[in-house]
Order: sequence, then C-alpha cells, then structure tokens
Amino acid sequence: MKKLEAIIKPFKLDDVKEGLSALGAKGLTVTEVKGFGRQRGHREVYRGAEYQVDFVSKIKIEVVMEDELVSDAVRLIQEKAKTGQIGDGKIFILPVENAIRIRTGETGKDAI
Amino acid sequence: MSAPSDELKQARNKLLSLFSCGETAEDFQAHYTQIVDEYFRRSVQESETGQTLFRDKRPFALLALGGYGRGDLCVHSDLDVMILFNSKVPSSARTLAEDLFYPLWNMGLDLGHGIRSIQDCLSLGGEKFEFLTSLLDARFLCGDSPLYLDLMERLARKLLAKKALALRRWLEEQHQRRMAVFGDASHLLEPNLKEGIGGLRDYHHLLWLAKAFFHVRVPKDLEILGILSHKEYEDLETHLRFIHLVRNRLHQDSARRNDRLTFEHQEGIARALGFKDQDGLLAVEQFLSQVHASMASVKSLHRSFVFTQFPGSRKNGSGSERSAELCAPFHVDQGEICFPSAVAILSDPLLLLDIFAEAAKTGRPLALESKRLIREFLHLLDDSLRRSQRAARAFLSILNSPKACDVLDEMLETGFLCALIPEFEAVKDRVQFDHYHLFPVGRHLLQTLRHLKTLYRERDLLLTDIFLDLSEPEPLFLAALFHDIGKTGKDHARRGAHLARNILKRFSYDRKKTDHVHFLVLHHLLLAETATRRDLNDEKIVVQCAGMVGTVERLKMLYLLSWADGRATGPRAWNDWVANLVQELFFKILHILERGELATPDASRRVKQAMAEVRTLIGEKIPPAEADALFDGMPSNYLLETSPRSIARHITLHEQLWADVARGTAGAFRFEAAAEPSSGTWEVTFLAKDRAGLFSEVAGVLALNNINILSARIFTWRDGTAVDIFTVTPPVDPLHTEVIWERIQANLAETFQGRLVLADGLRQKAKPSLLSWKKTLTRLTEVMVDNDSSDFFTLIEVFTHDRIGLLYRITHTLFTLGIDIRIAKIAT
Repeated sequence: MKKLEAIIKPFKLDDVKEGLSALGAKGLTVTEVKGFGRQRGHREVYRGAEYQVDFVSKIKIEVVMEDELVSDAVRLIQEKAKTGQIGDGKIFILPVENAIRIRTGETGKDAI
Repeated sequence: MSAPSDELKQARNKLLSLFSCGETAEDFQAHYTQIVDEYFRRSVQESETGQTLFRDKRPFALLALGGYGRGDLCVHSDLDVMILFNSKVPSSARTLAEDLFYPLWNMGLDLGHGIRSIQDCLSLGGEKFEFLTSLLDARFLCGDSPLYLDLMERLARKLLAKKALALRRWLEEQHQRRMAVFGDASHLLEPNLKEGIGGLRDYHHLLWLAKAFFHVRVPKDLEILGILSHKEYEDLETHLRFIHLVRNRLHQDSARRNDRLTFEHQEGIARALGFKDQDGLLAVEQFLSQVHASMASVKSLHRSFVFTQFPGSRKNGSGSERSAELCAPFHVDQGEICFPSAVAILSDPLLLLDIFAEAAKTGRPLALESKRLIREFLHLLDDSLRRSQRAARAFLSILNSPKACDVLDEMLETGFLCALIPEFEAVKDRVQFDHYHLFPVGRHLLQTLRHLKTLYRERDLLLTDIFLDLSEPEPLFLAALFHDIGKTGKDHARRGAHLARNILKRFSYDRKKTDHVHFLVLHHLLLAETATRRDLNDEKIVVQCAGMVGTVERLKMLYLLSWADGRATGPRAWNDWVANLVQELFFKILHILERGELATPDASRRVKQAMAEVRTLIGEKIPPAEADALFDGMPSNYLLETSPRSIARHITLHEQLWADVARGTAGAFRFEAAAEPSSGTWEVTFLAKDRAGLFSEVAGVLALNNINILSARIFTWRDGTAVDIFTVTPPVDPLHTEVIWERIQANLAETFQGRLVLADGLRQKAKPSLLSWKKTLTRLTEVMVDNDSSDFFTLIEVFTHDRIGLLYRITHTLFTLGIDIRIAKIAT
C-alpha cells in the first residue's frame, strides 16, 4: 500500500479527481493548502509599500492505493495536472503500513 | 376502561399522524395541550393517594408551568408541572407524584416537575428568575383551585411588586446573551426558532413583561388592554402560528427537541408546508424568506414594545431638544430624531428621505414614532420624487457618510429602501439555498457595503492602501449596494448591471461613474472566479482579464468589491486561501496594466478588429466555434503584432499541419518564404508541433544555408502549435531563390527525421576566418537575466557581435539547459 500526496494547481482539481476515480481510486482527501516551492515567497510593491507574499495557494490531494495502481496513478496525475508552466506542483509517494476501516475493523487492502 | 397513560399514548400518536398529514397543523399545540390536560385530570381522579390527601384535608392543586402553562406544547416540548400545597408538603405527596409522573417518563416524555408549598414558590421565584417566569405562565389543571388563586395573588402582590424591575433587567440581559449566542434569527440561514432574536423567546419576554407590569393574564389581554393594536396582535398571532408550525415540523423531522432550523431539514419542511418552486425561486428559498419575515416581525414587535413601554431602557435619553446640529424641520426627542408632524410629511414627502440623511449626518437613531410614520407614508413616494435631484443628493449623502450602513439598515427595515429603489424589492428577502451564503440578498448587499466602510480595521494593510488610493470611492459603494440586485434568475451579474444603470439613470447620476458601477456589477465575480478556476501562470488568461478591466482604477475597485463581497458571503466563499489567489491575480493584472501594452483599451480594440478581419479572410473554411477556440489559444502579443492576413494564412497552415500530424507523419511541419519587396528582405514562416529545441534547429538550418536572421518572433498557441516568423536577408543568389528555399525545406525535414546533424555542419561554418578576427572583438558579450519584468517568464538578454549561426548557438545552449523559449526578439 502506498499513499500519494499530490500538490497541484487549484483549477486542475476536477481533472485529477475525475481521472483518479476512473482509474479506480476508492476515495481521496482534498485540502486547500498554502506553501512555497523553489520560487520561495516574493515581494509585491504597491505605491511604494512592500507586501511580502510568502505562500501560494494550492490543492493537496491525498490518496491511498494498492502498489499496483501507483505507477498508473502517478502518470495520470502528471498528465492531468501539467500545464507546462511554473508551479505545476509535485507528487510524493509514501509507504503505508496499514489501514483500518473504523466501522468494520477491516484492515489492509480491504480497508482502502 | 384503559389507563390514562394508554389513552394519552394513543391520543398523542393519533394527533402526530394527523399532523404529519397536514391536518390539525395550525392548532397542534392547542390539541396536544388538551390531550395532556386530560391525562393529568384523569390521573389525579384515579390516584388513590390523591383522594386520600383530599380526605385528610391536605388539598393540593396541579399546575401547568412554562410553555405547557401557556398551552404552547410542540411535538417534543418538555412538560413542566407542579403539585402545589398550601403550607407543608406531606410525605405522601411523593406517592402522588409517582402515580402522575412515572407513566409519562415510561412513555419517554420530557417532564420537569416540582412539589412545593406556596411559600416555597415565592422564595424560589425571588431567587431564580427562570422559575419566576415559569410561574408567570402557570395555569390551573385540577385539584383545589383556591390554592392556585392564592399563589397568583401573592405572586403579584408580594413578589412582583418588589422584583418586577429586577426581572426586567434580567430579561434585558437574557436578550443580550441570546443575541451573542444565537444571533439575529431574522436573517440567519440556520435560525434558531426559539432562542434566536425574533424567535419565540422574544414573544415570551414580551408576555412576561406584560404579565409582570400590566396585569396581563392571557395573551389576548395584550389587545384588550390596549398594549398592542388590533392589527399588531393579529399579525403577532399569524406569525407565531407559522413559527410554531415550523417548529413542530422540525421537532418531528429531528425526532427530538431541536430548535435550530438547519439546512438538512429546510427542504423537507418547505415541501411539507406546501411551498413549490416558482418564478425561478426554489421552494426552500421562499420558505426561508417567510420564516425570516415572521421572525423579523416578532423581533420588531418585541423591540417596539420594550421601547414604548419602558422608555427608560433606551440609551442616550437626553430629553427633548432642538439640537443645533440638526437641520430644520426635524427635532430631537430623548436623543432620537422626530418628524415635525405627520402633516409636514404629506406636504413634503421627501422629508421621509431627509430624515435618514439627518440620521446619517448626526449619527442619532430615528424615534420609534418616526419609523411608524415612515411605514405609514411610504406610498407617497412616486416616480417623480424618485427622479428628483433632491432625492439623489440625499441618497448619495447617506451612502457616503460613515454611518451609511446603520442608516441603510433602517431604510431596509422600514421598507423605505424598496420604496426609493423599487429594484430592491425582488431580492430583499431572497434566500440562496447553498452552503456559501450566510445571509439573504438584501442583508448581504448591506453587509458588503459594511465591510468596505470598516475596511480600515482589517489587518491586511494592502486593502486600506488601495482604498485610500481610489480617486473616488462612491462608484464602489454603489456597486457594493447593487452587485447582486439582479439575483432573480440566471446571469445575475448582467441583469444586475442593467438594473444598476437604470437606477442611476433615474438619479441622473454622472455618466462616467455610472459606467464604473455598471462595469463593477457586471464583473463582480471575475477576479474570484478566474483566481480559483483558471491558471494564473497562463499569461493569456491574465491579459484577457486585464483587457476586461481596462484601467488600474477599475481594477482597484473590483479587487475591493471582490473582497467585500466574499467576506459578506461567508467563510466558505472567502478565506485566506481564496484571498491569496485573488491577490495574486490582482498583482498580475496590475503589472500588465501598468507595464504592458497588451491590455490597454486600444490594444483590446485592435485585437478585436484583427480577429474580425481574420474571420472575413478565412470565410467559411473554418466553423466560427473552431475559429473562436483558435483565437482563444493564441498569445495576446501574437494577436497584436501579426497582420490579419498573416494570421489567416497561419490558420490555413495550421489546418494542414495538424492534418499531417493526424495522418501520423513524423516531423510534420509547414514552411513558407515570401519576399518583402519594400524592405528588400524575406519573411519566413514556420509551423510545427512544438517541442523543446525546435526553434534552435530551424535557426540552425537557416544558418547552414547562409541565411542571416534579422529578427525572429516565435509564438506557441495553446494547442501546442509553434509559429515562428523570421525576417531574413535575401539568399545570396537572388536568381535561384526557389532552389535555396527548397533546399532549406529538405534540410529541415532531414533534421527532424534525424538524418542531418546540424552541429557538424555549423562547426565547419563557424570557424573564424583570419579576416573577421579583429571585428569579432569589437563587442564584449553581455548576458542579463531578469526575473522581475514579467510575472510569467524570465527575460534573458544577450548582447553580442553578430555572426552566422549565432541564433542557433544561443538557442541550442538554452535548449541543452532545459529552458523553454516562449518569445524571442532579435534585433541586429
């Protein structure tokens, strides 16, 4: 089992979500997040006053899936979330030790 | 005969099922109260302990307290009852209580009970006002009635005589606490029917005060004793009946005592009460509007009752004065503004508006009587008065004053705003059934304005800076007030912009400022929608926005409006995350407007004109929708800098190219060269599916054939078509140009298919000859990297001496570094 964490541009959420469901992801978690990447923050100047802009608004998608699905999912997110412009985001892949469905107590694959 | 509790159970179930079918819905409480009364009367009769107590000369009375006492039992209301004894409570009273109460608990009813002597009641009532108010509602059920009369008599004579004032203060505190905890239910989208301001509690407060101060015994006394007018009492009854009806449905729906009308219940109850979708309004929206109207009415009746009957509770009561700050003909009474007389209004109806202007100027509230007169005389306001200069001036003076929002609130509440601007009527109470909007439209519009007026309190200093920077905030205020006025159907922004223009025309408002308001209303969603749904790193999108906005002044107003609108909508529509995106878009548009030529009104006009010409040129060849999609994908600077004829030609080449690609041709491209007789140069056009390194390869092939590039413009359409346009020196052999262009085309094909290695051929060429050696030293190469000039791209400027193959070398280097070239400008 792996967890994919993808940071993407907000307007790409629908595309990625639809793609992942079509691929067979059973569920996903979406969060509105703020942060920075290689660009860091930047300064905006308005009428001589400086405004520090530290973070950019992005969407974080988290989805847990079986190992076999991971490479397809990564390819899909990459394809759907790509604009070719700066700030397209990143995908992180993390190992997941176990999963438990709270209602039934099922574990592992069955709980995804 | 069955036990009283079985009978109660049966009767209650029957009543509930009748209620579900909509029968007995109107007077459910009365029926339910009757059933419960019946239970207690029978139980007391059948209780052996009860009879023993009477035989032993220990009489008692059974009283209904609180809501049960008032006869206001809703489906899951709790029952409050008390067994009252004269002096001492006998020990067998406990057995009596068991007889009466246990069956109810077994049925799962919520029962509050007490066994007390008259003296117990009086001392407890003196300590706990909650108990005192429930005693005020006490009703005799059965047993020894003199006991009940004795209690009520002593309650009035002993307790209330001393405690009435303290009770009033306590009720005032309770009112404030409810405001803080439950809010003003008359415009909340999930109102609390009981505790919210405007809820049943307001009516209870009114009733308790009337009982404590004016010897009112039953609600009907409110009218009989002249505390409320006939109409007021009738309205009160109607609204209470409706609120109770909703509450009963809510209790039944939630299967428990729940007074908060949350979203999940609203649609079901609206349908059950027979509301239907009509005139573009959802059933649930009409339902909620009616709930709000009823609660607003209860709220205002309670308030006017307290203000009229207890003038001491008014703040800043500074006696009668004709204050110097006040303009004639108005005067101040108890710190509040009054009309000179009703007759004065009849002869000059615009006094109705002037009094609001006065309130805005002085910050004083309107007297209750003034508001009554305003409501009374609303009909005097006709179209000719609405069109008068004086009306426009007064209205704008209110809008621009710091107190604008409080005054506009009053104007909305008294119905005056709708009389002055009839366009408000349709949206005033309009509720939007979604999870974004916290307020009905009328309230939302005022809230938006309020946010702008109190903007200086925000932590975000940028907002204040922008606001102070506006040349005039008036159009922004007007737009805030009007932005959702078209919310009676689809495309509300367009509809609203149109209405706003009509309203301002009626006011003979300045034409240029009217245009601003029209623009702001029309595009009030532009920034928020673009920021959350489009790619802010796509220059074209930002340029399009900038083109729509047109000027920095408008951008600033639009940004502030978006912010205020979002804030007034609710936390789901506006939070830091959204704010961040909108701010990013604001700065990007600002930079384009301030620096670029791409989005000036002139540029937008030129682009539009060019597109129209291209359309005529391509004629029927390409369906309009397809052409629109193509235009949409063309970079702004391409549309600006390229002649319509060339664009039309490129579109044709584009069609051919993608037909090739579709056929699976490897390395498909289109190449054309045309002489420019006027300048003696040639223009070379090249189209291909874009990929990294493409441009450098084309430059390389040209260099290989000794074609010197004078300038180059390269563009990428959004569908991935690279369009490169070169201005080049004529081929060395002017007689055989055809041959040379054909060779170049062949070279290009070979390169793309990997049969020609450019680097080898060019290395050969680039060997400096001895002759040119000196010349090459005349200029030092200089490279500048600029990350600030554009929000979208990095600018790399290279100054160096010109030579064959230079462009190839520069672009090839960039390619090997993984840098994508979006725009190139070459000048020699």
